[in-house]
Amino acid sequence: MDDGTVRVTFVGADGGTTHVVERPRGATLLDAAHTAGLPVEATCGARGRCRTCRVKVLKGDIPPPTIQDKVQLGEDEVRERFRLACQVKLIDDCTAVPMPPREEAGHQILAGVHDVAEDSRLTLDSGIVKHVVTVKPPTEEHHQTSDVEEILAVLPPGTRPDVPIEIVRKAPAAIRADKGKLTVTLFNDRVIDVEVGDTSAHTYGVAFDIGTTSIVGTLMDLKTGEQLADVGSVNPQAVYGGDLMSRIAFAQFEPKKLQTLRAKVLNAINDFITEACEKAKVSPEHVYKVVVVGNTCMHHIFLGVDVTYVGLAPYAPVVRDLIVLPAKDVPLKAAPNAQVCLLPIVAGFVGADTMACVLATRIYESENVRALVDIGTNGEVVMGSKNGLMACSAPAGPAFEGAQIRNGMRGAVGAIEKVTIDADVHVSVIGNAPPIGICGSGLIDAVARFVDAKIIDSSGRLRRERREILPPAIQKRFVDTPDGCEFILVHKEDSGRQEKIVLTQGDIRQLQLAKSAIYSGVVMLQRVMGIPDERLAELMLCGGFGNYISIESAVKIRLLPTLPIERITYVGNAALMGAQMALLSETERRRALDLARKIEHVALATRPEFQEIFVDGMNFSGISFAEEKRALKSAANDSVRMAAGG
Amino acid sequence: MSEPGLKIPQGWESRAPQGWEWKTLWDAVESGDHHYSGQRVKEAIDAKIDPRVILDDGLFPGFDLQSDRFSAQIIFIPEMLITARAMKVGLALIRPLLAAMAEKPVGTFVMGTVLGDMHDIGQSIVTIMLENAGFKMINLGTDVHPDKFIEAAKNEKANLVGFSALLSTTVYYQKVTIEEFIKAGHRQKVHILIGGAPTSQEWADECGADGWGKDAVEAVRLALRLVKEPREAWA
Repeated sequence: MDDGTVRVTFVGADGGTTHVVERPRGATLLDAAHTAGLPVEATCGARGRCRTCRVKVLKGDIPPPTIQDKVQLGEDEVRERFRLACQVKLIDDCTAVPMPPREEAGHQILAGVHDVAEDSRLTLDSGIVKHVVTVKPPTEEHHQTSDVEEILAVLPPGTRPDVPIEIVRKAPAAIRADKGKLTVTLFNDRVIDVEVGDTSAHTYGVAFDIGTTSIVGTLMDLKTGEQLADVGSVNPQAVYGGDLMSRIAFAQFEPKKLQTLRAKVLNAINDFITEACEKAKVSPEHVYKVVVVGNTCMHHIFLGVDVTYVGLAPYAPVVRDLIVLPAKDVPLKAAPNAQVCLLPIVAGFVGADTMACVLATRIYESENVRALVDIGTNGEVVMGSKNGLMACSAPAGPAFEGAQIRNGMRGAVGAIEKVTIDADVHVSVIGNAPPIGICGSGLIDAVARFVDAKIIDSSGRLRRERREILPPAIQKRFVDTPDGCEFILVHKEDSGRQEKIVLTQGDIRQLQLAKSAIYSGVVMLQRVMGIPDERLAELMLCGGFGNYISIESAVKIRLLPTLPIERITYVGNAALMGAQMALLSETERRRALDLARKIEHVALATRPEFQEIFVDGMNFSGISFAEEKRALKSAANDSVRMAAGG
Repeated sequence: MSEPGLKIPQGWESRAPQGWEWKTLWDAVESGDHHYSGQRVKEAIDAKIDPRVILDDGLFPGFDLQSDRFSAQIIFIPEMLITARAMKVGLALIRPLLAAMAEKPVGTFVMGTVLGDMHDIGQSIVTIMLENAGFKMINLGTDVHPDKFIEAAKNEKANLVGFSALLSTTVYYQKVTIEEFIKAGHRQKVHILIGGAPTSQEWADECGADGWGKDAVEAVRLALRLVKEPREAWA
């Protein structure tokens, strides 16, 4: 077209549904895909650093491949007109097929492992109480009352008289049907629903953990604490950037884009409520309380609060306190006056999700010093005991999610999750499928085995030069490319993607940065609090990701400090468990506010010793490599002397 | 890809006393042993070797070797950092001698992390390496307001200015800071370099920077090239 716009046609990879959109010349193909409403992900934030937005261009002129296209996709794919959608600036009408390089189905998402209601110390006091009452319509004309006053008259004293407008509207019909038999629902001292007849058997609530990567939720019976249904999936906002900072950058200074992100998460949450209620065969109208936790960014976006300044120093949140609002104001698919409760925030990067982990692990009443580590794109660490808690956040970046790793992928079917090395390399794959990539836990495991097998040295360098000491099958796996050394994990013939699966030197460097961030977070809090390793009684790993990594491998590569393995434990998705506890118990929800104000936040980047610890943490062994190099050198000299018959 | 080798300076034998050997200093810089690099430089100074020769023949070979390896991703930040430190210790000893010989810095470079960003690991490596390359470095630290960059550039009559940003949310301020230089009428007086993990050549073009370094080594090469291109003089 000649009016400065081009027409882009997207066809399904199976030749199915077709979408046609018009975009200005110069816009990216990714932008066109999003305009067409296609869920094409750009985990790296559309910077050409990952392969999630891969497309194949079937027809039409496109600009020559960029360097990023060649680096991410390789010459072969580029020749076959594969491109990164974020890199293609439209010049003419074209037709393309979105071809994300991996299967997202079967994404490993972890719901709560433990049954919260079985926690003997949890008091079931959700705040939601149903009163079955009989109300007579007003009879006095002289000393007049009102329908609402008649309802309030049969409720416990202290019930607030300012009832929501929906209840006022329902009142006249309700008290005149079924001989005035009503069920009135209270949240603490507030009327939130009135229904005809006895519905006291139905009081439900939903707890949600909104993560940057995935959203999980549980529908619960508020009277019994029973878990009725679990729901979860990837966070649909991921198409606008995989990690927290690219999510904030997307919405920064642009209120419309904030609304785009908000709509994505609200749609997902509403779909989950519907799905959970269908599974449990209950009505969403009987959902009276919803507890939402998430990091500060997810929390703010859920509420439609500007996240611009959360992304800029001093990274302060807009609001920290407990927030309660009626479902109709969100809006959520629940009773209109269901209480939507958000747990408090500690700091910009220590959010309500961390607060929920603190609640779930009861670290605040521990006699000994314990630590809580949530490994993710942004790792949070909480350390302390009943004598006080400190928290920090460690920006690990998206490497653990498989992003910015050449053949990286999320923990889905086809992802390598475990690696063993003897005379050769062997991989275990999620779903026992042919391997198509490697996920974060697989990456950690692979690198730990590389260290053991001396495929890399303690500085993270692939030992290409000294590979002759390795078994022949392993020697053959080193490949030189113009961009540096690579190591073949899976040969082309064993791969499910018709090409070899490699770990590049650059991938190992990315992992080093990520794992050192987490390591430094833990070590810094130990330093600040004066807690040597022997006084750290327990290190608890929480979050979906923490449950899939091998503790032994994580310690091996120094993602975690070198504690005896029995002192490192998995605690499951503690953020969701904390949300469930706050859902079932107002005591717990109020405790969160008290705790949030008592946790001391430590800003890592501003502390002088941080750089030194962070740099040291990039290595795979505790000894500084200058020392190690000298040791190697003297060993080499010794062998020379011995060979010379000295 | 073959590993970069040690670049042995041409004719170095004639520039040092008979029997003098630099290899131990090369090794010290390469392995990041700053105690030993300092000691060897002191010995060279005591032997009355020309400080320019100590710099070129003694310190740079090991440093250049590691820089090339760093560029090729063969070594990583920790090794580069300790090599840069070992180099810096030696350099600190000979800098007063160079100054006494009226050796001028290559140029003046004002460096800092932009407003909103508290991270300094990237720019601190670049600062050491530019210092090693002969620049007079003015490091303003982190979370630097555009006005502070402008003031420092003006006061120091800077040739180059570098803005580091380590967060996707703060690269925006690289652009803002460049716009402030334009508004203040100083854009033509300095070369502006940007860098940091979320940045790219495309972003450098978009925000109007004169150059982008993918890593510290690239940044030094770029700075050495740009400093030779004339800019408007500071008043």
